[in-house]
Amino acid sequence: MMIAAMAHWKKIGIILGLTFIALYPLVHGDTYVMHIFILFFIWAVVASNWNLLMGYAGIFSLGNIGYFAIGAYASGILCKAFGWSPWVCILMGGLASMVCVTLFVGLPALRLSGIYIALLSLIFADSLPTILTQTRSITGGAMGLHDIPPLFEGITRLQSYYINFALFLVMLTIIYRTIHSSTGLAFVALRDSRSFAKALGVNEYKEKIKVFALVSLLTGITGGFYVHYLGDISPTTLAIEPFLLAIAMMEMGGIGRFPGAVLGAVIIVFGNEFLRLAGTLRLALLGALICAIILFFPGGLMQFIDWIDLRLTRLKARRAISS
Amino acid sequence: MTRFNPPALEIQDVDSFYGELQVLRKASLRLQQREVVVLFGPNGHGKSTLLKAIAGIHPAAAGSIRYLGEEISRTPSAQIVEMGVAYIPEARNLFTDMTVGENLRLGAYNRRARSQVAQNLAYVFDLFPRLAERRDQIAATLSGGESRMLAVGRGLMSGAALLLIDEPSIGLSPIMKRAVFGAIAKIKSARDIAVLMVEQEVEHPLRLADRVYLLKKGRVILEKPAAEINKAEIEQAYF
Amino acid sequence: MNIKEIINTLVSGLISGSLYAIMALGLTIIYGVIHVFNFGHGIVAVLGGYFTWLFLTKLGLGLIPSILLALVFMFFFGLLLFKATINPLLKTPNWEFSTIIFLLGMGILLENLALQAFGPRVKHIPAFFEGSLKIGFVRVNWHEISLIGIVLVFILILNFFLKKTWFGQAMRAVAQDMDGARIVGISITRIFGYAFAMATMVTGFSGILLGTKYYMTPHIGWDWMVKGFVIVVLGGLGSATGAVYAAFIMGIAEALATLYLGSLWVWPIWFLIFVTILLLRPQGLAGGRTL
Ligand SMILES: Nc1ncnc2c1ncn2[C@@H]1O[C@H](COP(=O)(O)OP(=O)(O)OP(=O)(O)O)[C@@H](O)[C@H]1O
Ligand SMILES: [Mg+2]
Repeated sequence: MMIAAMAHWKKIGIILGLTFIALYPLVHGDTYVMHIFILFFIWAVVASNWNLLMGYAGIFSLGNIGYFAIGAYASGILCKAFGWSPWVCILMGGLASMVCVTLFVGLPALRLSGIYIALLSLIFADSLPTILTQTRSITGGAMGLHDIPPLFEGITRLQSYYINFALFLVMLTIIYRTIHSSTGLAFVALRDSRSFAKALGVNEYKEKIKVFALVSLLTGITGGFYVHYLGDISPTTLAIEPFLLAIAMMEMGGIGRFPGAVLGAVIIVFGNEFLRLAGTLRLALLGALICAIILFFPGGLMQFIDWIDLRLTRLKARRAISS
Repeated sequence: MTRFNPPALEIQDVDSFYGELQVLRKASLRLQQREVVVLFGPNGHGKSTLLKAIAGIHPAAAGSIRYLGEEISRTPSAQIVEMGVAYIPEARNLFTDMTVGENLRLGAYNRRARSQVAQNLAYVFDLFPRLAERRDQIAATLSGGESRMLAVGRGLMSGAALLLIDEPSIGLSPIMKRAVFGAIAKIKSARDIAVLMVEQEVEHPLRLADRVYLLKKGRVILEKPAAEINKAEIEQAYF
Repeated sequence: MNIKEIINTLVSGLISGSLYAIMALGLTIIYGVIHVFNFGHGIVAVLGGYFTWLFLTKLGLGLIPSILLALVFMFFFGLLLFKATINPLLKTPNWEFSTIIFLLGMGILLENLALQAFGPRVKHIPAFFEGSLKIGFVRVNWHEISLIGIVLVFILILNFFLKKTWFGQAMRAVAQDMDGARIVGISITRIFGYAFAMATMVTGFSGILLGTKYYMTPHIGWDWMVKGFVIVVLGGLGSATGAVYAAFIMGIAEALATLYLGSLWVWPIWFLIFVTILLLRPQGLAGGRTL
């Protein structure tokens, strides 16, 4: 019994975690904590998508916050300008993000590698605030957009909580399925041996475009949920802090490991609330945290979990022998 | 007390790995001073790996490598060069955006050789007049034979007492092969230098060499004076 | 548009181009030799400026001694940073990725420490010379002329260093063929360390010069860095000559864009040029040549 439990400790952990999340609002239901949870749902999805692109597909994209912002802005603008249903706008926002990113980053990236993609995507995201400030009549410029309608009239914090929880579950399932699909395998093959993968008939261009399109679509949609939850958005979304937070989540969880970014998001989103105590030093601490993880803990939390797993397996083996 | 004339090179039970893959298994061989030794062996059985272990480019995992009696198996490559071991790789590894002259000068980077740049340069140009002609040409534009000469020349610039040459004739036309082996013969007769050469080509090296080793599956399986072995015997040993 | 405006524009393009050149050289040296892209480049430049400002105003040193002291500081800062962090990271399998993220994190850490120490207010470093020179209808500050002069002399010195000294040749050797460098007896780690230190110093120097012409805030480094990225890509990653040409091209392009389209367009023009190079000629002007 004990041994069986140990073998499944990860599954049990996941189930316990999800049950806790599902029951929290009913049992305790502090609105501020619920707010932090909602941010966690959103950032976990953003970071997991990023991890799919960077960690699994090995595409060194640094512009994912930009993909997020495009979806958020597009959805907000459509909703305010045309009064469409937020749900439609969110989908349109995701599509807008997908089209822009695939066109301006994905297609050029086909001919580029490593560092060039990093520079291109970074500069892509970096040029968005300039575009925003120059299109004030539509985007609100530096002030941003306000009074963006919520998902439906009179939505409560509790309803937002469960909607974003559902988003979190659906998105992570899609990411998980992608990793284990032929696309995911193609990237593993490309990562291990480019020439061998090509010999197997992997079409690198097609797979790259596919993953760019998927990640920007999902990230853009998440941006839509974010903007309709908060009700406003401004170019500060594109500032360094969200970028740092997302990178820290990926790093903390373990680059290229599936639920890693989610674990990272738990720690970073909740930890960031404590970091507010540090006031103006918060960003410095975040920078230091990122450096420290890479230097001393490069495998992230997933490595720690592997370590526990190994220990438990050994313990189990020893018990099996002694009994 | 210094040992009386220690061997130029003495390798004992060297193991070498690339990741999990073991390439050398207790390889052993020895070179006397001023001796020219050729190491034969089938493709992929670890000849280059052995030279890399000696030069410290890919250090051995176990075993001992002594150069003039001194243990160098753990010594950094920069120091090994300074002690007088020059490695001329099969891949050449020239500085492609530099001129022939710059490449040669860099061959004398180690502290001991810096004072003898002019002298060694004259020697190399004498050995390979072709390089003197192309002194200001960018290395990337050299022909295969010329870049092989440059690689050998760069190795000689270090003022080495032990030369490790990896397949100097590979991919060269018969005329170029003759030129390169001719130069090695000259080095042998004129310089106080020991040469360990890896080759696929048999006839030329056999004429040059004092002794021959055969490496197979990471082990040295045969050792004979060059005069007592012929092409057929070597090729037979490959299988 | 009259000829006067155009000449004035070219002159101001030349001035900013020379500043961009020296800034891009720091990035190029590190990429060329170590193959690491310095995502902390911007803050390193800013630190050079702030150190100078600090020595100037708080220690009461003269301008030249302050600059020299700052350069010494930057050199050792670079050396220490490399030995303590980058070098161990280079030995990990994921080094390309880890060094970039590390340097990003380091950049943000330093930026916010600078913010803490110096505050968000704009700071200047005084001009080297007062007054201006008037030739016909063109008027140029002596200070700006001196900047062009300093950068040109600097480029000549760097060129001499790379081509004629053992150390410079060793740096080029490492950049071109690392195994080849090892084979001739060059210690890679040593060259890496000093190349990083030197590049940090050069970058710091560029920050000082930028601080005399424009202004400094802890955040301005990001803008400088992104400009540096565009320039080194245009020049061809890792090519010093290419970077210098690209810097002057971008300086003049920027001045022309300001003149004809207005300053709001400057940033989009940078992006447009960047994407165009990436699409048409990713290897840059120098086409794969190394340091
Ligand atoms: N850098 C490396 N990483 C992994 N494996 C390597 C590496 N270099 C060589 N090998 C492997 O080690 C084995 C021995 O290689 P080595 O180059 O020493 O052979 P060789 O005897 O010189 O062959 P050849 O005559 O073809 O030059 C080969 O199987 C090769 O694939
Ligand atoms: Mg070989």
